Amino acid sequence: MSRRVVRTVLVRLGTSLLVLWGAVTAAFVALHLTPGSVVDALIGSNTVTPQVRAQIIADYGLDRPLWRQYLAYLGRILHGDLGRSYQLHESVASALGSQLAPSLQLTLVAIGLALLVSTPLALFTARRRRWVRALSSGIELVGVSIPTFWAAILLLTVFSFRLGWFPAAGATGFGGLVLPAVAVAIPVTALLTQVTREGLERVLEEPFVLTARARGMSDAGVRTRHALRHAALPAVTFAGWLFGLMLGALVPVEQIFSRPGLGQLLLTAVGGKDLPIVMGVVLFTALVYVVVSSALDVLYLVIDPRLRGAAR
Amino acid sequence: MLRARRPAGPALAATAALAAVLGLAGCGGTDASGGTGSGAPVRGGTLVYAVNTEPINLDPHASPQDITGLFTRPALDSLVALDAKGGVHPWLATAWKISADQKTYTFTLRTGVKFTDGTPFDAAAVKANLDHIVDPKTKSQLAAGFITPYTGTTVVDDHTVRVNFSRPHSPFLAALATAYFGIESPASLKKGPDYLARHVVGTGPFVIDAFTPHQSITYHRNPDYNWGPEGAAHTGPAYLDKLQIKILTEDSVRLGALTSGQVDGIASVPPANVKQVKANPKLTILTREAPGGNYNYYPNTASGVFTDVRVRQAFRAGIDFRTIVRKLYFGTFSPASSPIAPNTVGYDASTENLGKYDPAQAARLLDAAGWTGRDAQGYRTKDGKRLVVRWSFAKAFAREQRDVLAVQVQAEAKKLGIEIRFADGTITELIARQVKGDYDLADFSWQRADGDALRNLFASASISTPRSFGQNSARYKNPEVDGWLNAALATTDLAQRSALYAKVQQKVLADGAVFPVYVFDYLLGANKRAHGIAWEPQAYPTFYDAWVTGK
Amino acid sequence: MTVLAVAAPARTGRRFRPGVWGAALFLALIALAAVAPGLLVHGGPGDANALDALTGPSAAHPFGTDANGRDVLTRVVYGARPSLLAGLGATGLGVAAGSLLGLLAALGGRVADEVVMRFMDVVLSLPTLLLALLVLTITGPGTLNSIYAIALYTAPSYARLVRVQAMVIRRSGFVEAATSLGLTRARVISRHLLPNAFAPLFVLATMEVGLAIVAASSLSFLGLGPRPPAPEWGAMLSAGRDYFSVAWWTAVFPGLAITLTVLSVTVAGRRLQLRSEGRSA
Repeated sequence: MSRRVVRTVLVRLGTSLLVLWGAVTAAFVALHLTPGSVVDALIGSNTVTPQVRAQIIADYGLDRPLWRQYLAYLGRILHGDLGRSYQLHESVASALGSQLAPSLQLTLVAIGLALLVSTPLALFTARRRRWVRALSSGIELVGVSIPTFWAAILLLTVFSFRLGWFPAAGATGFGGLVLPAVAVAIPVTALLTQVTREGLERVLEEPFVLTARARGMSDAGVRTRHALRHAALPAVTFAGWLFGLMLGALVPVEQIFSRPGLGQLLLTAVGGKDLPIVMGVVLFTALVYVVVSSALDVLYLVIDPRLRGAAR
Repeated sequence: MLRARRPAGPALAATAALAAVLGLAGCGGTDASGGTGSGAPVRGGTLVYAVNTEPINLDPHASPQDITGLFTRPALDSLVALDAKGGVHPWLATAWKISADQKTYTFTLRTGVKFTDGTPFDAAAVKANLDHIVDPKTKSQLAAGFITPYTGTTVVDDHTVRVNFSRPHSPFLAALATAYFGIESPASLKKGPDYLARHVVGTGPFVIDAFTPHQSITYHRNPDYNWGPEGAAHTGPAYLDKLQIKILTEDSVRLGALTSGQVDGIASVPPANVKQVKANPKLTILTREAPGGNYNYYPNTASGVFTDVRVRQAFRAGIDFRTIVRKLYFGTFSPASSPIAPNTVGYDASTENLGKYDPAQAARLLDAAGWTGRDAQGYRTKDGKRLVVRWSFAKAFAREQRDVLAVQVQAEAKKLGIEIRFADGTITELIARQVKGDYDLADFSWQRADGDALRNLFASASISTPRSFGQNSARYKNPEVDGWLNAALATTDLAQRSALYAKVQQKVLADGAVFPVYVFDYLLGANKRAHGIAWEPQAYPTFYDAWVTGK
Repeated sequence: MTVLAVAAPARTGRRFRPGVWGAALFLALIALAAVAPGLLVHGGPGDANALDALTGPSAAHPFGTDANGRDVLTRVVYGARPSLLAGLGATGLGVAAGSLLGLLAALGGRVADEVVMRFMDVVLSLPTLLLALLVLTITGPGTLNSIYAIALYTAPSYARLVRVQAMVIRRSGFVEAATSLGLTRARVISRHLLPNAFAPLFVLATMEVGLAIVAASSLSFLGLGPRPPAPEWGAMLSAGRDYFSVAWWTAVFPGLAITLTVLSVTVAGRRLQLRSEGRSA
């Protein structure tokens, strides 16, 4: 089995590079299709002398043909150089680096929050009395239905502006992290609870559960030791997708809470056609995604023995 | 990153009006937390101020953004300071002489001044700074544009410099007083543009600790500071131990941070919340009218429907700009009558009687212009074509709820039978349209204290071309107006210049080359524990005289 | 055997379900608003009146007025059309494209599988918002364009799901058995594989209609949806949030409209799904 896992991982790695190359290319092409020229975006709405304009063009190599700009970019990436931002006056790596921590923090706290709430909720409500399930699914439904940005605005207004429990502006300290994390975690928690419970309920009907019960295993034991493991499979299927959902949620949430982060960086960079930054973010998120989804593929093999036998 | 940039006008006070120095009394009036009667200033403490935009590039010599001035002013001194009446005062230069042909300025520099990196301040430093501004490698997007006739600086001796121009250049001293001509340490200038974009070292009352983009900039007091500008409220080092400027782009968050006491002051209180802030006993609002071009709409006089002066006049007469501004801004901003703000040198108060709301007259003008037909939706037509105004409008960059205002104007125009279509887009697309003149209506404010702002706005040389970006968005071309503007530049007599600028204002209004909208006030919300916040020429707060009392 | 099939709880008999009825009623109302908004409200969504700016809910304006003095109720009603269009359109497009690609990957052989899934990986590996931003910067903002953008980034999740389903079913030996019984490949796909694969797809799509509505309003919220002054819930929220502290109604009602619509779609979708499973089970 372990050999198969290793092989899967290797195949994954190879294709991952392909994915990354595709992502860079797609972004590069798309951005060059947008109206307006790069040099105009660099200069902005100001009077400059022709010399200054020429200097910018020369410095940034904008007079070279597109394919050479592209090749040069690919070449640099192979050397691990993401380039420099024309507008931020710093390297893309350092721009990403300075904005990564707040986003990562927010994402991790939100994931933690979602797991912390959804797992017990699913465990306690699966195949319970009708009203318990009804109440729980009602809450989940509302959770899925509320747009993140609206939830963020409501949270901010109620808990920060009105009640004053949490600071309004929050890049600093744990207090400032709570409201944005809750906003990001709400839909994820709701979906995870649903999926996990549905998985649990299905598993709880399986014969082996009956066997376990017949052997005198307690209900709680059955749920946590046997059922949860099997129920995790559908949750894993969703995890990559949920991750994408969270990255998307970061953008409005970071904006609403005036938090620094990748979402803000991206939004402003696209608006300013800051090519190196946009590509840097694209590449970075693609990389993270590839790592996450490869890990998930492996998890599949570990969790679901049926797939283990069938080699890719 | 363009969020940080003001929409179509990187508002700058070139020839500035107000000196930082008047702060206490000046901004005081009815609403000064500014410290009036709040006892003696206290040394120590930290002041946290939150702003809505941030500089992309911290080097004011290079940056096109006015916010750069706010961020670097605490660390940078200028050679001279300006007062409210346009008077020039000593700062790092103790005296200066202008040659008879107005082409040479000789400055005597203050002695005993040191940059915070230890470099002494001398004539060579001044030369290095001016040369740095015009160096193409600096890619100056603003400062260099204000000294175009600059030919060089001569070091006469250690503390005397001569600045030379190829032709008379009267706005020089006023430009010199802005933070965009702040004197940076020559040692830091040598480190190149990328270094300067993040690190600025000067002789100022504060030293920059760190600038973290999207987050904040922090400063600590320069203990050796003893060369404040003439007219400041105190001398010696600043009162504050530390100063922090936070970047909080979201209006509601910035306001929330103020009301919850997280910060001591905020920029740009949303007009809808002004009443709420005033009602809070802990808070106050300080305002400063921004000099220069008001927030105006500019019809494209060179192509499209607005080439017909009657359509332009109809647009102005048929829309009740004054009422709309009063209602939508809850009385916070005053309606504008002239293209320039009342506190601008050369403002013509008689314009206040012009531009009365008269929908009947507007209808007559449109009829006369041939827009007599009506289509199914009630819009006017001529030869079967609908009267459409394409408005180049960047919603994403709209400040002060200008988008709300625009929607209102759109609804009012509909009543006139004019359809307004918003051509939204990124700043890049907007600039491309601006350069090509591909729009019917544009909107922006242009802060600059001198009446010379009119030259930016209406001189034919200031029309955008692919090679140069200008502020004449009306693409207005009038030899008579060009003549008056040049005549005003050539004379230093204030009365003569004002008379010429009055003519320009009357003429462009009569020609419908501008639709004045509102006079922009900088609305600073402050906690009453903050005192002594003063103002820069371009209506930005300064913190040299500021101090805080216990929470 | 299906990985994601939602267990249908043993609900038997016809019982009155207030939630389902409420959802159906609300959806009917929203549908009416989308088709014929004029039947529900009198004025137009663009009737601005500066003199009425930001007045609270009253008899004349049950939901109050916005910063331009426009009636919020009228705008919420007129906002139904772009929101529903975006949700249904994007989901339909996404499901169609995703299913095709998913089937192609699962049944088209190894090469097709690699190519399609790597392509899906590329799309999925771009953050959803960047993808939308890219699409919308090229095409320009607007309702139709946000539909494309959302469909583009939801399609890969359908494709993956369909592929996983199809592969699990294929590996179960079921398909081989059917083919060995002499059924044609197409018949196996349409009669056996599709129904099995589409049950979980339906669950996902049901949730996704709601999510697509949310996604479209998010894009509008970020200023990429329909242009002003078009009434759109996300854009209304975006404009309303600046006034939230002084005029809560400008942000509460559009947000409520999105939430209730999405909630109703999901509730109604689930009910339909339970019924369909009840029949097939």
